Amino acid sequence: MSVGPVERDAATAEFFDAAAAGVFLLRRCAGGHYSEPPAARCTTCGDADLHWAPAAGGASLVSWAVTWTAAEPGAEAGATVLVIAELDEGPWWWSRLAGSDTVALSTGALSVGARLVLSFARADGEHEAVPVFRLAGQPA
Amino acid sequence: MTRLGKVYGRTPAQFAAEAVALAAADAGIELAAVDGLLTSSGMTGGISIDLQRDLRLADLKLLSHVQAYGSTAGSMVAIAAMAVQSGMADVVACVFADSPLQPERRSSAVYGTRRAGAGWWGLLGASGIVGANPMYALAARRHMERFGTTSEQFGHIAVAQRAWAALNPAAQLREPITLADHQASRWIAEPFHLLDCCLVSNGGIAVLVTTAERARHMARPPVHVLGWAQSHPGRYLRSNPDFGLVSGAATAGPAALAMAGLRIADVDVAELYDCYTFTVLLTLEDYGFCAKGEGGPLAASGVLGPGGKLLVNTGGGQLSGYYMWGMTPLSEAVIQARGDGGARQAERHDVILVSGNGGVLDHHATLVLGSQQAAA
Repeated sequence: MSVGPVERDAATAEFFDAAAAGVFLLRRCAGGHYSEPPAARCTTCGDADLHWAPAAGGASLVSWAVTWTAAEPGAEAGATVLVIAELDEGPWWWSRLAGSDTVALSTGALSVGARLVLSFARADGEHEAVPVFRLAGQPA
Repeated sequence: MTRLGKVYGRTPAQFAAEAVALAAADAGIELAAVDGLLTSSGMTGGISIDLQRDLRLADLKLLSHVQAYGSTAGSMVAIAAMAVQSGMADVVACVFADSPLQPERRSSAVYGTRRAGAGWWGLLGASGIVGANPMYALAARRHMERFGTTSEQFGHIAVAQRAWAALNPAAQLREPITLADHQASRWIAEPFHLLDCCLVSNGGIAVLVTTAERARHMARPPVHVLGWAQSHPGRYLRSNPDFGLVSGAATAGPAALAMAGLRIADVDVAELYDCYTFTVLLTLEDYGFCAKGEGGPLAASGVLGPGGKLLVNTGGGQLSGYYMWGMTPLSEAVIQARGDGGARQAERHDVILVSGNGGVLDHHATLVLGSQQAAA
């Protein structure tokens, strides 16, 4: 599996710092509501005073889609499973499935509510860590 | 409308200028009578309020570039209707044009490269979620899991619209297809096959919006704007219980019909924004042509397509006709309302419902058009 390259900007610097250490940061308001990382205001109460708070790493599957791309022109296309995951804290995150996509597809492991675990992957050493998910119980 | 489809060697601005001039000629007015201009551009941009200069329009009373993604056409008509109602302007041209197709160039040459994006948007792309196909596929899968909707049911929409396109001389894809062809077409982003996805077109389409009084004296029978509404739920990429299950059409549709003093049962023809077959299915549910979750069985019941009971996307839509964003359903609605549909003309065409959808089901615009000023 592979993810693409991504560069940080002013809005994502702290998120990527934490990602490099294997931590997925959410936004949290004084009332304890969690919002997705890009949120400028609390998704639940509208509070603009948000702070970074780490996600525990557990999630469940909301939806999935499968695309096929070849690593290089002429090569056989491989499956990529894209997912929307609901983190246990509430916010959703759109990314892809890590681990063997073929196994995920052939075993019927993909179903609404399937347990997922947050993980991270990089295009290469120079690029930022990208949050991905793997099916709970599957090796990273 | 200009020639549409694989029409090369022209910029979006050139298509837009031609489309406005054609609309004025169709109405039998001088171009100089246009005193309002609303512009909209697609994938390749290239259109702005500078179109005024290209058209040599002087002393405009309304000029704006409008952007609400796939719901822009409906938004433009609503803005124009309010402008002429208020007396701000008299004749407002609304135009969309695009030219993403290039000869000898495959789309993979444009989209296949993997460059580093930045920030949150770059992160989404790095995760593998690039473009609308996977995003709508994720929406469709959620509908399938919740309601038991199937790929074959999506296929019925593709087959019906291709049958309509066969009757439309302006359609790009007119060769009939079967459900088996749909199922055999390659995956784009599962659960979407190739034949679930809209095509790509070059060209431009413009409509003129004016008062009913003024329209009476123009060359062609006017099409009346009876109602309009928008809905922008604002939950893009956020936790959203409605994602893939309910769109803004569920609120904008009834609101636009209420403005027109009509009910869904009064609608003769529906021209629905169809970036994907799934979008049609969802909009049918949201507008109330069937109960929530029953869009699949409705599509498979044989009511769609020529000769069916439910007249939907009678020109082939964006799946088989031409891809001009919200101008595709709007232009076919005008054709049907005027009775210009030729072999595909609906017998009853007094009330026509038009939808626009943009983002990932994030932006919706509904128009209710009528062949009579007061709905029959």
